[in-house]
Amino acid sequence: MNRKRALIADTFCLTKRRRCAADSVTGDSQADGAADIRSSLKYLVTLFSRKLFNDSLPPVVLKHQLYSLHNDKTAVDKQVNELRENGELLMFQLGFDSEAFALVFAEDYRAKVLQGEAGRGTLGTVEKFLAKLIPSCSDLSFNKEKMLKEFLFTDSEITQLVKSGVLTVRDAGSWWLSIPNSGKFIKYFIKGRKAVLGMVKKSKYGEILKTELEGRRTTSQVKFQMKYHIHDIIGAELVECIQTTSGTLLRHVDGNVN
Amino acid sequence: MLSFLYARQSGLDDPVRLRRAESTRRVLSLKLNHNRDVDRIHGNGINTLDIEVIDGRYMLSGGSDGVIVIYDLENNSKKPQYTCKAICTVGRSSRHVHKFSVETVQWYPHDTGMFVSSSFDKTMKVWDTETLKPAEEFQFDGNVYCHHMSPVARRHSLVAGVFSDQTKPSACELVNVSLTGHRGEILSVRWSPRYDHILATASTDSRVRIWDVRRASGSLFTLDQHNGDKSKVSSEAVNTAHNGRVNGLCFTADGLHLLSTGTDDRMRLWNSGTGENTLVNYGKVVNESRKGLKFTVSRGCSPEFVFVPCGSSVAVYGLHSGELITMLRGHYNNVDCCEFHPDYQELYSGGKDCNILAWVPVLRQPGIEDDETNSKRGGTQAAINPAFEDAWSSDED
Repeated sequence: MNRKRALIADTFCLTKRRRCAADSVTGDSQADGAADIRSSLKYLVTLFSRKLFNDSLPPVVLKHQLYSLHNDKTAVDKQVNELRENGELLMFQLGFDSEAFALVFAEDYRAKVLQGEAGRGTLGTVEKFLAKLIPSCSDLSFNKEKMLKEFLFTDSEITQLVKSGVLTVRDAGSWWLSIPNSGKFIKYFIKGRKAVLGMVKKSKYGEILKTELEGRRTTSQVKFQMKYHIHDIIGAELVECIQTTSGTLLRHVDGNVN
Repeated sequence: MLSFLYARQSGLDDPVRLRRAESTRRVLSLKLNHNRDVDRIHGNGINTLDIEVIDGRYMLSGGSDGVIVIYDLENNSKKPQYTCKAICTVGRSSRHVHKFSVETVQWYPHDTGMFVSSSFDKTMKVWDTETLKPAEEFQFDGNVYCHHMSPVARRHSLVAGVFSDQTKPSACELVNVSLTGHRGEILSVRWSPRYDHILATASTDSRVRIWDVRRASGSLFTLDQHNGDKSKVSSEAVNTAHNGRVNGLCFTADGLHLLSTGTDDRMRLWNSGTGENTLVNYGKVVNESRKGLKFTVSRGCSPEFVFVPCGSSVAVYGLHSGELITMLRGHYNNVDCCEFHPDYQELYSGGKDCNILAWVPVLRQPGIEDDETNSKRGGTQAAINPAFEDAWSSDED
């Protein structure tokens, strides 16, 4: 019997896909079928404003921004982990939220870090660290024994790495992997997120069409592109996303109301 | 659907597959049915519901006023409009009623002659259903948050109860066995439906522990949300199941997986044998409950569904895929508990608005030809509600 066994779930078409004319025109509608995370990441990278940081920072994308582009969160997580294991993607724990992870392509990271280190005394140590890190390691943090035994770094070398910004102190004897000069990024990001959420909250009825929000003039608080922030607040579920006949509506989510 | 029927008829498929497909179809079409009502007896919020496993006919409910009600869910009248009547009540006038809020009620797993209720008046009572008097009463030192009896136990009849002021779950029958290990109050306890000696507890110290009652020396293991990957957390948060209080636990029907919900707005699915986080991402499952949350998993469908009370609606998620199927809206206030009826694929949910709502699968409407033959025969089913029949248009058009 060669009959292919179909899943019962497929027969019942669990997810209804309603096509929204307004969204499909702009081209970034949700991807059906096989989710291509890499192309979504590349798209999100284009939304990142490089000039803001004088080109010293590699393009950073947040993991939950991917959730706003793809339906299946578990599949997104799985693919991101695969890319990390292959050494193409690096994941960082940002300080402000235990669930917010930043993703950077490994080549970009390496290029920017070495560019930042050029001419400084710590260049050699940083290169050695990157060489150990990028092909195989997919950790978010390192503790002392690992650094000393596995990676064979000395204490003074670890201090140099912290000084150069590649490691940040977590607590005594352990360090987070980090992006150098990312403090400014986090500051602008949090301010911008708060400002965009404020825009949604202040709209009439606490809701606004996504296309209208994209077209609004941004205040000086919002340094990134509007679309970058919109993907962030949708993916982190800080606003409720409702499909209507005029497009996607973003409604402010109050903690108690459901 | 026809393909499933044909496959069953010709022997290509297992009979179970057709049953599962039909159950899944029914669960996917759950809606609030205006034909099905549950008697409104409670004057205050409803904290807990339990449907007995033998017949699936009787339902127990416990409320914040200490009242316990038993309903008959079976529809013996021939009409589609049916109210589940309350058969008997342990009301405020009864001598043995609980003084404060009843937190958990559960039928005795093997027959309906007995049920156990636990409440904030620091007692757990074992009731005789016939006389509605407590046959046995256990006193505790603190408010009892939750109790559970093993649904498969044959060799023991332990009731596991957890209460505040103590950070250990007690399994009590005649012998009081204490299991130590948690550092905060325990909000929820569940026996495994697969093994009669495995118990899971969830507590405010963000940990979920799995115990073997035969050993009683320490927990078997603690569930770790990062699967041992210490790199992802700050060092205080190592080995925790959630980033906040864990307030709900539910085993799947086969006992192989365990679900836990926490106040960090997340729900996690664990492999109950190894304690591994399966990393299914359900997204933000809003959870603000200060005490235990009672949620449930469907039985007999493929794929299984999780019904979680989220604020004033019930969210339905696919168990292994993590996607939100639908939100069942209908309650006026917070929903506290929900219970799935496996034989009819119905969901009963109770909440602070003192209502128990029944979510019934919407049946396919009969086709137009059937309507005509029915009306010719003068069939018993009225296809049109008499209120909507128009009495003013004439037939001579």
